[in-house]
Amino acid sequence: MEYNENNLIITKDLKKTYKDNGVYVNAINGIDITINSGEFTAIVGPSGSGKTTFFNLISGLDSLTYGKVWLNSKLISDMSGKELSDFRRDNIGFVFQAYNLIPVLTVEENIEYIMLLQGVGKKERHKKVLNILREVGLEGMRNRVPTKLSGGQQQRVAIARAMVSEPSLILADEPTANLDSKTGTELLNMMRRLNETTGMTFLFSTHDKMIMEKARRVITLKDGLIEKDEIKA
Amino acid sequence: MIVLKIAFRNIFRQKRRTVFTILSMFGGFVLAALFIGMADGTYNQIINKFTRNQMGHIQIHEKTFLDRPSLYKTINNFKKIDKELQNIDEIDSLCPRLYSAGLASVKEKSTGVRIIGIDSKRENETTQFNNKIIKGRGFSDIDSHEVIIGKTLAKILKAGLNDEVVIVSQGADGSIANDLYKVIGILETGDDITDRISFYLNLKDAQELLVLEGKVHEIAITIKKLSNVYKVNNIVEEKINNPQLSVEPWQVFAKSFYLAMKADKEGMWIMLLIIVLVVAVGVLNTVLMAVLERQREYGVLKAIGTKPFQIFKQVVLEVNILAIFCMIFGIGVAFFINSFFSTHAIATFKDIAYGGMKFNSMYAEINARSFYIPAITVFLAANLVSIFPALKAAKTEPAKSMRIH
Repeated sequence: MEYNENNLIITKDLKKTYKDNGVYVNAINGIDITINSGEFTAIVGPSGSGKTTFFNLISGLDSLTYGKVWLNSKLISDMSGKELSDFRRDNIGFVFQAYNLIPVLTVEENIEYIMLLQGVGKKERHKKVLNILREVGLEGMRNRVPTKLSGGQQQRVAIARAMVSEPSLILADEPTANLDSKTGTELLNMMRRLNETTGMTFLFSTHDKMIMEKARRVITLKDGLIEKDEIKA
Repeated sequence: MIVLKIAFRNIFRQKRRTVFTILSMFGGFVLAALFIGMADGTYNQIINKFTRNQMGHIQIHEKTFLDRPSLYKTINNFKKIDKELQNIDEIDSLCPRLYSAGLASVKEKSTGVRIIGIDSKRENETTQFNNKIIKGRGFSDIDSHEVIIGKTLAKILKAGLNDEVVIVSQGADGSIANDLYKVIGILETGDDITDRISFYLNLKDAQELLVLEGKVHEIAITIKKLSNVYKVNNIVEEKINNPQLSVEPWQVFAKSFYLAMKADKEGMWIMLLIIVLVVAVGVLNTVLMAVLERQREYGVLKAIGTKPFQIFKQVVLEVNILAIFCMIFGIGVAFFINSFFSTHAIATFKDIAYGGMKFNSMYAEINARSFYIPAITVFLAANLVSIFPALKAAKTEPAKSMRIH
């Protein structure tokens, strides 16, 4: 396997078959793809095309049926559950459609959660939380609980949580689907800016045309296969 | 720390459910504490009545007397033993007794009796003998040839106060012992058999009748603290240091009573098992519901790097925090209730007979075990049933839980 130091994700003949009500469903049918560090890429396709399954496989959230996945030069498809857990904590930030913040924790606690798992000291955590809150425009809201925030604000917290430990990959699954178009645009612009300033790789799973427009690369999936891989100039 | 924080705050998410869980644990704890306090109080009341009012806590006999009682198996140096035992602080009081069998007659009525010679003053100090006299009076110091008989014996003999009773027995010298006594009292011990056969004489009268001057068959001892009975028994044994005599605690000389009490006490564990089940069902139901509701949340936590054990810990911690709250309040409430019932008896609907004695009231007791046994029971039950939901939470598959929920 040839591995370029610029390569962040490599998949080789990736396949996933589900058993759904006794029927086998081929969600991913053999995907070979390379995603480089610093990309701002959208994975698009109709419902059932395999976008979310692809996300789950490259992040180790789901086991694959066949093939291999390398992330940050590590073969994650062979990792144990515990190794995957640590690997995800240190290398991947997640942004979900439904925000998925921990409802009993404040904004600050939600953001520092991963750093706590990593064993980062209190001073450093505090400094990083304040910086990221400034970046996402939520300086005055660190002591609020998620239920006291709007959808857009919650998604900003989710982005801050995903980015604060500086992972190499941010996986954003339909991040703007629950937001109005104005808030969605603001968030997208913010992520684009963060991508440019931090060099973190952003990978979106989306139906949102706006994300497709902003993305520098758009990969279209259909029936678990890559239909089109378009890199914009 | 963050796990503890989440666990603690989760408690306040579904207040109604939390209240239900707390009530299961709190109710279980208080019920168990009350049950143990009440059982211990009642059993100790029975033991105390049985020992302090009749048998004494420790008894001294000729070493084979208990197995095969005989007129000739006597303690010959009572005065010396009495003197030696006076120096033991833990002893409350002691009294000598002499036993024999006889035939008592009043006019045409005759029946077999148990002659019991007692030192009235010391017997009264040791077993509150005079309190059991329901008619007449206790033995006087001056008058002799007096007898106090059991209530049922009085009925059988149709004897009343001042009636004369003839007793026929066997003297230790082989002679036929017989004499005439005046009934000065009728007593009720609460023990039917005792009341049917008891024929109490002054010790001197009994010794004279049975030709056993200066000798006794039994020394009954009561001690200050019942729980020290084995310790005091050993001290007495060492002090007397006589291989011809046996010194035994009530658990030995009243073995069948002791075993019956012990068996009854075992019943407590069945009650505790029921309480465990009540707590377990309550906790399992609510914790499992909470875990099922939070599947997506656990999925997210796992996705962002939380280890399964940390999620397991979070669920178990949540249950334990609730259990600690319940313990604190439970101890307070149980202490209050047990304190109240330790001074205010619960009256029974009808007399309860136990070991030949009758009871019509029950008292609770405050002791350490009525708190630590429920605490251990509730903690164990709560933790045991939280294992399954905690494992379920820990095993959450992030992809699946986020897809479904």
